[in-house]
Amino acid sequence: MNKLKLTTLAGLFTSTLLLGACGAENNEAAGSETAADNLDNMITVYSAGPSGLAENIQEAFEEETGIKVEMFQSTTGKILSRLEAEANNPVADVVVLASIPSMEGLKTEGKLQPYEAESRDSFHPEWSDEEFYYYGYSATALGVAYNTNQIDFLDADWSEFSEQEWQGRVTMPDPTSSGSAVDFVYGLTNANESGWDIIQSWMDNDLLVAGANKESLDAVITGDKDVVVSAVDYMTYKAKSDGEPIDIYYPESGTVISPRAAAILADAQNMEGAQTYIDFLLSDTAQEMVAEAYILPGNQSIELNDRAALDEIPTLPVDWENAEEKQIETINQFTSMN
Amino acid sequence: MLVRRQAPFIILFITISILALLPLFAVLGYTFFEDGGLSFESIRLILHNNNIMQTMQNSLLLGLYVMAATTCIALPLAVIRTKTFLIKSKWLDILFLIPFMTPPYIGSMGWILFMQHNGYYEQIFTQEAPFTFFNVAGMVFIMSMHLYPFLYLMLKNALLRMNGSFQEATLIYGGHPLLNWIRVTLPLLLSSYVMAALLIFIKTLAEFGTPATFGKRIGYDVFTTEIHAYLSRWPINISGATSLSLVLLSACMLIWYIQNIISRKYTYGIHSGKSPSTASIKDSILIRYMSIGYVSLILGLSIGVPYFSIIVTSLLNIRGEALSFSNLTLRHYGELFTVGSSSFQALMNSLSFAFAAATIAALIGFCMALYIFDAKRKSQQLLDFTSLLSNIIPGIVFVVGLILFWNSALLPATIYNTIWMPILTYIVLFLPYSVQYTKSALSQLHPSIHHSNAIFANNYSVILLRVWLPLLGQGILAGWMMTFIISMRELVGSLLILPPSVETSATFIYSQFEQGDVAKGMAMAVITVLLTILCIFLMERLQRKALHTS
Repeated sequence: MNKLKLTTLAGLFTSTLLLGACGAENNEAAGSETAADNLDNMITVYSAGPSGLAENIQEAFEEETGIKVEMFQSTTGKILSRLEAEANNPVADVVVLASIPSMEGLKTEGKLQPYEAESRDSFHPEWSDEEFYYYGYSATALGVAYNTNQIDFLDADWSEFSEQEWQGRVTMPDPTSSGSAVDFVYGLTNANESGWDIIQSWMDNDLLVAGANKESLDAVITGDKDVVVSAVDYMTYKAKSDGEPIDIYYPESGTVISPRAAAILADAQNMEGAQTYIDFLLSDTAQEMVAEAYILPGNQSIELNDRAALDEIPTLPVDWENAEEKQIETINQFTSMN
Repeated sequence: MLVRRQAPFIILFITISILALLPLFAVLGYTFFEDGGLSFESIRLILHNNNIMQTMQNSLLLGLYVMAATTCIALPLAVIRTKTFLIKSKWLDILFLIPFMTPPYIGSMGWILFMQHNGYYEQIFTQEAPFTFFNVAGMVFIMSMHLYPFLYLMLKNALLRMNGSFQEATLIYGGHPLLNWIRVTLPLLLSSYVMAALLIFIKTLAEFGTPATFGKRIGYDVFTTEIHAYLSRWPINISGATSLSLVLLSACMLIWYIQNIISRKYTYGIHSGKSPSTASIKDSILIRYMSIGYVSLILGLSIGVPYFSIIVTSLLNIRGEALSFSNLTLRHYGELFTVGSSSFQALMNSLSFAFAAATIAALIGFCMALYIFDAKRKSQQLLDFTSLLSNIIPGIVFVVGLILFWNSALLPATIYNTIWMPILTYIVLFLPYSVQYTKSALSQLHPSIHHSNAIFANNYSVILLRVWLPLLGQGILAGWMMTFIISMRELVGSLLILPPSVETSATFIYSQFEQGDVAKGMAMAVITVLLTILCIFLMERLQRKALHTS
């Protein structure tokens, strides 16, 4: 009998606990409701890097407009996955991706909301959408970064990394986690008929494909590998200015420029706030912060910070038409190679 | 009357259902039901995928290798700790706990930094390592260095319990000592060994940290990394993730079933006739030196090397330059502790989530343990089994289930995308610890306590406050600390379910390795392991105090 009462007691205990948890949950729900009432004061941004810059822009934006930003920072691939997983419960207002084809993909699926920003005319037209669905507010070029402790000078072209000399010394970011690496693989194989052969010859030469951009750059900084192909240039400039033994160049046959684009989602709960955020990204204040972080600003009148200018970078003649459809194909073909 | 009698069971069962069972059913439902009808299409697709067979093979082989390697490491250790002069060095057990409690991704990052080309090994010895480390053997080595303490503790306890009449009988009637070992001691160890080894196998299958860091580098995909990739890599494939989760779930259930059969068949009554080992141990000098050498070697490899790497990395100013005192700096720690910085926020998040999860789990675990008590009735056994589910089911399966369940359109309200989601996940994943710790504290109580309760107490809140809480307090607290430590380091669940703009120390370290500043990540890792070690010592003290008082 005693045990029966005891267990009743235990049960009561649990139910109190559960009620408590429910109460807490209700509070939480109530909290988000009040937040919903004040939608004007909050936007959610999913941003594919670059981490330092995104935070600085967020801070400056909050200070200037008084709108609070909830920021989820990740890679392009993870953001796309998250958007899809949350299709039932959309949260994000603004999305920033490091790959235009992915943005085109979202546009064709009808997930974006067009917006005619005021300052759109001073921006590089090729990086933004003609129908104002997204804006390429900045861009990075993909080069070859090398460790200056191991190599004095380098200007090899893409295909030369299949030579014996480079066996086991080259690394590259993984296209499944790096949006710019997808652009690079797509660009190289699209502009160049032997593109896939070049990549295959790298693989045969023990190319290390691991992790996102920073991971592969780190392998070269620490001297584990000597060269990164498809290295994101601003990260390299940043590391170089921090004193790391690293430098970058752009192979003569041309490379891929990967714009980072921002767009408003059709499901955005705070449309006005999202538009303010886009305006801010295109403003001179934000564009100067972009240049400060060694990134190519979308507004070309902004002064660059100690880096190669756009017209100094040889580019591959890539046909970006329908790139978004071929993107998954590109990833699949890349991952099936080894 | 019936309803009243069953009330505690119903309430507890509903709790555990919402926590653990419904998410598991969500995985089943998502895989097998499509547009309202039964369909085996997605699981068939998965099983026909060549990569998946490779992944399965990788996972299972890894499990076998790690099982073998941990045996080779742990068995000699257990023998040394029970048969040589080191039997008195109880403090060694705390040291052996450290590698097990160290988050596995931190350990493997430490090894990567140490062994990579131009890494710390080459800088210290100024030559290349005489073997290649970056292959499956290296991965098995790293995982074994993390998991061996578990097997060691089980074997050591089994050997200690056996130190009695069996030993004396073999001494008197047996022949050659080696033969005695093979004919008597090893068979007696078998049931403990099988149980521990199969748990190691399951833990290896469920492990995410090492495959995600080291395995990715050598292109060795396993179940957990593939499920994670399906959920977080573009293009996303949810049914792929659920199908693969089911395969993993079935594999673990099968192993658990085999383990049950074996341990039932080969369990002997070795608890009786315990007599303290009387003869003081006299070892030859050779055995002494060999024991000390072996213990230091294992400790050096499992703690020394990885801790050296992460501490040095967290202190380096310019990572591209060589190790030297002029290249050391504390600035990464400074950034870490700048109030309001993202790293500081992540650390605080981890602490508060772990605190909340540990507290709620301790409460639920306490109620569960009181109800389960001696697990004689069917309902008690059912609850006992369900509360321990997450011990045998890999965390990532629960995480997939929790995501599906809390995102389902049928729910009137959801905690998805709030901070309650990670807290709930930690509770689900680590509830077994608080249940088990409270249960073992309960089972150590003398029956007279229950009798006196029955006679003298007339008010049940009195029993709860004045009898159970003081007596079980230390067990509950030990369970709380255990939950706290492992919640703080949990990685794969946090990666998948954290709401936007929320980071924990584990995801912070992981993302620094992936995207940001490795030195800063390693500074965070040092703080995490320091907190962990502190908790281990506190737990040890608590348990020692508990032994004194009872």
